[in-house]
Amino acid sequence: MTPITLKLGTRTVVARVDPQGHVHIDDAAFAVTAAGAGLYLVDDGSRRWHVAVADAGDARWVAVDGQVAVIEVEGASRGARKKTARADAMMAPMPATVVKLLVEPGQAVTEGETVLVLEAMKMELPVRAPRDGVVAAVHCRQGELVQPGVALVDLE
Amino acid sequence: MIRRLLIANRGEIAVRIIRACRELGIRTVAVYSDADAGAQHVLQADQAVRLGPPPPRESYLNAAAIIDAARLTGADAIHPGYGFLSERPTFARACEEAGIVFVGPPSSAIERMGSKVGARRLMQDAGVPVVPGEAPADQSDEALTSAALRIGFPVLIKPSAGGGGIGMKVVRDAATLAESVAAARREAQAAFGDGTLYVERLVDRPRHVEVQVFADAHGQVVHLFERECSMQRRHQKVIEESPSPALTPAVRARMGAAAVAAARAAGYRNAGTIEFLLEGTGDEAQFYFLEMNTRLQVEHPVTEVVTGIDLVHLQLRIASGEPLPWTQDALSQRGHAIECRIYAEDPAQGFLPQAGPLLLYREPQGPGIRVDSGFVEGGEISVHYDPMVAKLIVHGETRDHARRRAVAALRRYPVLGVRTNIPFLITLLEHPRFVDGSVDTGFLDREGDDIRRLLPTTLPAVGFAAAAAHRPAARPGASGHGTAATEVADPYVTLGGWRNR
Repeated sequence: MTPITLKLGTRTVVARVDPQGHVHIDDAAFAVTAAGAGLYLVDDGSRRWHVAVADAGDARWVAVDGQVAVIEVEGASRGARKKTARADAMMAPMPATVVKLLVEPGQAVTEGETVLVLEAMKMELPVRAPRDGVVAAVHCRQGELVQPGVALVDLE
Repeated sequence: MIRRLLIANRGEIAVRIIRACRELGIRTVAVYSDADAGAQHVLQADQAVRLGPPPPRESYLNAAAIIDAARLTGADAIHPGYGFLSERPTFARACEEAGIVFVGPPSSAIERMGSKVGARRLMQDAGVPVVPGEAPADQSDEALTSAALRIGFPVLIKPSAGGGGIGMKVVRDAATLAESVAAARREAQAAFGDGTLYVERLVDRPRHVEVQVFADAHGQVVHLFERECSMQRRHQKVIEESPSPALTPAVRARMGAAAVAAARAAGYRNAGTIEFLLEGTGDEAQFYFLEMNTRLQVEHPVTEVVTGIDLVHLQLRIASGEPLPWTQDALSQRGHAIECRIYAEDPAQGFLPQAGPLLLYREPQGPGIRVDSGFVEGGEISVHYDPMVAKLIVHGETRDHARRRAVAALRRYPVLGVRTNIPFLITLLEHPRFVDGSVDTGFLDREGDDIRRLLPTTLPAVGFAAAAAHRPAARPGASGHGTAATEVADPYVTLGGWRNR
């Protein structure tokens, strides 16, 4: 019964799967039955739940009764490749086009000031400075299609 | 009758129109951008023609390429769907000039109703009530500001050419006017190629109630009752229903008659929607003409469900020159319909639109449940287009029956790989204000943050249990985690990887 560590936000759950297919979490036991690709019936002893699960790298997407969560599964892949988020970098939350670039290197900005405006899916999304500071570098141009998780503007 | 129809659209509406054509024995031609080469509307049509790269301007808004595609494939008609070119009079006219039937109104009617200013004047002349407002001929910031001051804050700034809430801004004081005008002008220019703005009085806590109309080429106009669309976020509709819980029979009759008068004044033909703002309650409620949508609406299924009429079939028949098959007296509303728009957006992140793969996507089924979608499992929600994934439409004997049916269906509608608003929709459908039917158009913008706090935050332990037991089907042996879940012998299970392609 190798323990599996599952993380969701600040919550960490250690699950053990026994040879009969029961999953043990703390003192509770769950009978899990596959019911189609990615679909499971989970009996918690008082009722059965329909749960959908899909894999995405180190994470598992789970849907229970209309609620969706992305659970990190520890050891699901070799060598965790963690994204290093830079607190001083402003990024696009999703693929988007830069419609307005409002700062240049050396410019002082205040917390909450709009540094650039992105457009995605017919909507304008302002990107604001996370704190007071001076722009160290600008990594995008007006009109450019940018990807999420990539720094667009750095603060010193 | 139309023999071959080109559908100048994508996503669920293109798929829905193709389905209607298949029923009527009409051949279908899809068009697509490079981002949609493997999309459902392309796969389900009899033929498909590539338009160009993903940006709409180079694909779904490229009128010349679409007319060329129709000529190339011998299509004798074009259905524009909604959005994209559907309300551009130049496109309808180009079809008319090319001898291709445009499944919609005459270009002259689109033009007449497409200008908010002209439409207002026309409606006033036809005796249809309108909201106080103006569109200054001088479109400078100063002129727009003085227009707003004359009308009195709060005001609504709207693109004169627009629709779908794009570029619309509520302005509560003169201080923030310039900023909103600039943003509205930019969004209007980007979306419609026309930055002309319109300023009107913001009606206090109105409801949005719209009436479906149909006109044939033989002078007959009917209405197919109302749709209540007050549940909207930033002018984007989220839940629609019919009948409206706010209309008394007397107001419904008045509104229907006004809608028919409006369609007549517009010189209208085919399917259209007259949008009204409803102020007040009971038989004394007042309504004002807001605008006419000269196309099929996203929310047309709720009308189909309560009237039993297939609006796309009817559109194709009217476009073929057939008369309306019934008179107003023959039409009625039966039961109650609710539509929920499933958007790829994350309620937890301020409804930020999401893009990504549909790792798992299973639509609910059952009596009174309909899903109109343009995607299947394995598909991709693209960054280039609208984030709507699908529409869930339910029918019940009563409003409460339909509401409960919608909640139950959404609870069995797993969408994994992109965040959707499904949890939010469930919370909305169970909110006391929706339950008692007292929502106005500002409800979600005022109380959305409080409602988001009602979203369940603690995943039931059964979710962790299933995640622990899950073994990816595609990578046998990749899991080192004990025993997989017990398999059930069921023919549908063995069809697990089957896709409707």
